[in-house]
Amino acid sequence: MESVMNSPGMWIASSVMVIVVVIQSILFLREGFRAAQELNIPRCDCIKGLRASMITAIGPSLAPVVILLALIAVLGAPTTWMRMNDIGAARTELAMSAMAAKVYGVEIRSAGFDLKAFSYAIWGMALNNAGWMVVALLFVSRMNTAIKKMNEKYNPQWIKLFMAGAAIGLFAYLWSGTLISGGGNLVAGIVSFISMYLISRYGGRYPRLQEPALGIAMLIGMFAAAAFF
Amino acid sequence: MEGNYNFYDRAIRLGVFTVTAGIIANFVPAVYLAGVVGVMPQWSDLLQILAVALSAFGASWVVQPLSFFPILGVGGSYIGWLCGNVADIRVPAATMAQKVTGSEQGTPRGDVMATIGIAGSVIVSVLIITLFTFIGSAVISVLPPLVKKALGFILPAVVGAVYAELSSKQLKIGLGTIALALVITFFAPQVGLPQWLLSICIIGCGILVARIKFSASK
Repeated sequence: MESVMNSPGMWIASSVMVIVVVIQSILFLREGFRAAQELNIPRCDCIKGLRASMITAIGPSLAPVVILLALIAVLGAPTTWMRMNDIGAARTELAMSAMAAKVYGVEIRSAGFDLKAFSYAIWGMALNNAGWMVVALLFVSRMNTAIKKMNEKYNPQWIKLFMAGAAIGLFAYLWSGTLISGGGNLVAGIVSFISMYLISRYGGRYPRLQEPALGIAMLIGMFAAAAFF
Repeated sequence: MEGNYNFYDRAIRLGVFTVTAGIIANFVPAVYLAGVVGVMPQWSDLLQILAVALSAFGASWVVQPLSFFPILGVGGSYIGWLCGNVADIRVPAATMAQKVTGSEQGTPRGDVMATIGIAGSVIVSVLIITLFTFIGSAVISVLPPLVKKALGFILPAVVGAVYAELSSKQLKIGLGTIALALVITFFAPQVGLPQWLLSICIIGCGILVARIKFSASK
C-alpha cells in the first residue's frame, strides 16, 4: 500500500491539479495586469500590490507545516502535496479522509487502513472538494450580475457600504470564534488587531512599513500569544 | 471600462475554463487508482461517501463562496475556490494589494488589484507547500519550541489583523459588528445554532450595522 501511495504514478496523477492551480494564477495575473493598463493603473502600482500580497502570503503559508507532516504520514506525500495546494483546508482533508475510511469500516492511522481504504479516502476528498468548485462555477458570474443589478436599482453608495458590512460581518464571525475560545487565541487576535491598526494609522510616515504591515502585525500577535501561553 | 475590453467578462471566461479544468484534475488520482491500480470503492459506498461529505460540508460549499464574494470579487473567487486557504491567505493578500495601492474594495480598480494579489499569493503558497512536502520534517525538527508554538496562533492572528484592515475605514461598523458577533457566538451553542447559520447571522449583523450608519449619515 505504501508503494502505491508514494508511487511515481500517484505523483503524476496528483501533479495535474498543482499544474492547473499554477497555470490559473499565471493566466489571472496576466489578465489583471492587462485590466490595470486599461484602467490606467500605473504598472509600478501593480508591482507594489503584487509584492505586498506575496509578502503577506508567506506567513500564513507556513502555518500548516505541522498538519502537513501528519497528512503525509497518513496519505503519502503526493496526495498531501496536491490537497494542500487545492481547496479544502488541511483539517478538512483529514476529517474527510477519516469519514470516508469509516464508510469502508476502518479507522485512519490504524493497521486496517489498506489500499482499498486509501481509495475511499481519495474519493472522499475528491467528492468533497468538487463541492466548492462546482458552486463557484455556478454562482460567481450570477453574483456579479446580481451586484451589478443592485447598483442600478439602489443607491450605489449604500451597496458599497452593504458589501463592506458583509465583509466585516464575515470576518467578525471568524474572529469571534477564536476570541471566545480565549487564552492564546484571544491574545493573538487582539494584539495583531491593535498592531495592524497602529501600523495603518501611524505608519504612514514609513512607506516601507506598509507592504509587510499585515505580516508584521501577525508576527507580533502570534509571538505575543506564544510567549504568554 | 472603456472600449471593448471588459475585465469581468474576461475573468468569468478564464474562471469557468480553469475551474472546470480543476474539477477534472480533482478526480485524476481517484480515476488513476481505479483504472491503473485497480482499486475503487463500491458504487453504493461512493454514494454513501458523497452523502457523508454533503452532510458534513455541504452547507460550507454554498455559504462560503457566496459570503466571501464581496471581498474576493469575480477573479479572486475563481482562484480562491480552486486553491483554497481563502480566509487565511487569499483575503489577507487581496486586502494588502488594495491597501498599498489605495484601491477601494468593490470598485473595478479594487477588483483588479484583488485579482493580482490573490494570484500572486497562490504562487507563494504553492512554492512553500512544495518545499515543505519535501523538507518539512527537517524544518520542523530544527524549529525552536517558541516558533512551533507561535505557528499554532497564526490563524487568530491573521484574522485579527485582517479585521483591523477591513474596519480601518469603517471603525464604527467594525467595532459594533464584533461586539454583536461576540454576544451571538457566546449564546449560539446554547440554542444549538449550526456554524453555517451562525456565519449568516453575523454577516447579517454587519450589514445591519452598516445600514444604521448609512441611515445616520444621510
